[in-house]
Amino acid sequence: MWRLLHVIAIAALIGSAAYVYSVKYQTIYASEQIVKTRHQIAKERDAINLLRAEFAHLTRPDRLQALADAQLDMQPLALNQIVKADDLPDQAPKVDSIGRKLESLGLLGESATPSAGVTGATPAVR
Amino acid sequence: MIETPGPEADEIAAHQAEAAPAGLFVSLGGLVRRLFSARLDKSAGRIRLIALAMAVAYLGVGVKLIALGVSHDPPQTLKVAADQAVSGARPDLLDRNGEILATDVKTMSVFAEPRRILDKDEAVELITAVLPDVDAKELRERLGSKKGFVWVKRQVTAKEQEEIFHLGLPGVGFLPENKRVYPNGPIGAHVIGFVDTDNIGIAGMEKYLDQQSLTDPHVPGFVLDSTALKPVRLSLDLKATHALRDELTAGMERFKAKAAAGAILDVTTGEVIALESLPDFDPNDPSDFIKDPQRINRVNVGVYEMGSTFKALSIAMALESGKVTLNTRIDARQSLRYGRFTIHDFDATHRMLSVPEVFTHSSNIGAARMALMVGVEGHQAFLKKMGQLDRLRTELPESAEPLVPKRWGELNTMTIAFGQGLNVAPIQALMAVAALVNGGNLITPTFLLRSEAEAAAVAHRVVSAQTSESMRYLMRSNATHGSAGFANVAGYYVGGKTGTADKIVNGHYSHDKVFTTFMAITPADKPKYLYLAMYDEPQALPEDGGFHTAAHNAGRTTGRLIARVEPLEGVPPTDHFPDQPFPILARLGLGGDADRMGKE
Repeated sequence: MWRLLHVIAIAALIGSAAYVYSVKYQTIYASEQIVKTRHQIAKERDAINLLRAEFAHLTRPDRLQALADAQLDMQPLALNQIVKADDLPDQAPKVDSIGRKLESLGLLGESATPSAGVTGATPAVR
Repeated sequence: MIETPGPEADEIAAHQAEAAPAGLFVSLGGLVRRLFSARLDKSAGRIRLIALAMAVAYLGVGVKLIALGVSHDPPQTLKVAADQAVSGARPDLLDRNGEILATDVKTMSVFAEPRRILDKDEAVELITAVLPDVDAKELRERLGSKKGFVWVKRQVTAKEQEEIFHLGLPGVGFLPENKRVYPNGPIGAHVIGFVDTDNIGIAGMEKYLDQQSLTDPHVPGFVLDSTALKPVRLSLDLKATHALRDELTAGMERFKAKAAAGAILDVTTGEVIALESLPDFDPNDPSDFIKDPQRINRVNVGVYEMGSTFKALSIAMALESGKVTLNTRIDARQSLRYGRFTIHDFDATHRMLSVPEVFTHSSNIGAARMALMVGVEGHQAFLKKMGQLDRLRTELPESAEPLVPKRWGELNTMTIAFGQGLNVAPIQALMAVAALVNGGNLITPTFLLRSEAEAAAVAHRVVSAQTSESMRYLMRSNATHGSAGFANVAGYYVGGKTGTADKIVNGHYSHDKVFTTFMAITPADKPKYLYLAMYDEPQALPEDGGFHTAAHNAGRTTGRLIARVEPLEGVPPTDHFPDQPFPILARLGLGGDADRMGKE
């Protein structure tokens, strides 16, 4: 009886020691991972900052202006090109055959097809 | 512990000599036994000896402690030295829309620990082979010093870092540092300012930030990490500032001017939307600025005779005093004599002029006569109230004291009335004109964001609402049928005032060297923006009719600028002008001719 208790106690002792060891090891491992991740976050943050600075440098107005002057066949915005939305003429009637067909079928209203979500740089205007 | 050998010792030594080597162990054993045997008759002496030794040891510790305490140059550990040397982080500077004006990027700097370098000459040779711009002689001197930490080169490129690393020199290492970069180059440089290699603000808003003690990079425990710092938003609009710089650069080239400057001010809040002064510099490499005094910020630091733009102040003063109304006729039939001085009109009309005509014809005689009606003291008091006689301090550390005549007589009042004899910083004049048109509230200009409520808290009334409306009416009529026509951009309700000041050359006013200014407001019925453009010594161009007056250079530039900046600021052009732009004047039966086009 006593012997069995002793064996159990020793086993429990060894078991708890092993458990403590493994927990301690895991803790060390986890804290190493935290340090590593922190380093990585700091590195990523620095990289993001660098990219932001680079982006700002590449999109600086004088560079864009020089590029636009050299590459684009466009003119500076003239004031008479700006109009209010109300001043726009009414939408022209659909002239193509598909448009006429849809209109005759009463399907020209808003589509019931769910949107695929916003893709691309500019949000979809519907 | 030392023990004086007694007579027994001699005996043992003799015995040792005889018995060696067999008796060696015996005698050793005896020695050990004797060492631990306590003899009471000797213990008092031993205790004293121990006490003495302890006292010497403590004295030594004490001396060393005092030496450490008083020494000015504590032996530096690498960590301490590095913490003191590396550049700390600074908050990002953003424009009013959140565009980056200045930010920190991490770079690597090469340092050395001279004490750990084995062969210094070899190290110098190897390093200078990789970094050719490092001066070999100077580097050798630095490595020869007794310091624990010296910089080899600040802010190296990734490639240079790799090459240095592959040299494998002991005692040479890398430290991450913050390097300030200004992605937009010279745009807005005079407002943004710049920093030195230790990331300490030297000029502009960068210096202002340091003065606010937001960032003292060398306070112990100072954060190297810029994420802990909140970005600072300036009032500048990057795009508008670029437009201003672009137009001024083009204008400076076209009119072959020595210098140009300009600004856009929000008259409702006092925020400076754009400010440029040419020639300027790139804050990434401010050596141009330090070497060349021509590159100062002319809007804040330069003081100039503002010429006819000052007439706006004189007329506002006369209207405010009640001695003059818009209907008063002023005698401009002949030149005004005072002692041996005569005041002429540039474009003489030789007739009685109404107050609006004095403004649109920019009559020196009219302005001088109106100032005389108010008197010298009244004139001084008014200019003082408008902030023209004291140094104007904004957030920018750079400012200038106006040049006020020491003895101010009637003649001074007459000339200052039309903008000669009082030199002020353009930003001061801007502040005053903004107060004249915004309803009469003087607001100190700011380079930080400011809401209208905050502006109302710092504003104080200097002229009445009616005087302010009269000034707006005058500026509007000057744009429709006066000298400000070049800035009357279709689609915006522009008002403006030209100013051409003859420059003083060898003590006399020169007629071919001029300093031109132009101020415009949009929209004139309820102004939001005040534009300023100035040129120093613009040349007359034959294709402009051979004029070098302000309308032909600064006026044209301002017109182009308005057409460019207003859409940027979200103000659409309109073909529908207000029916009742000047209601107070309309009740008095005045101001109806503001929109009449063409010159009389």
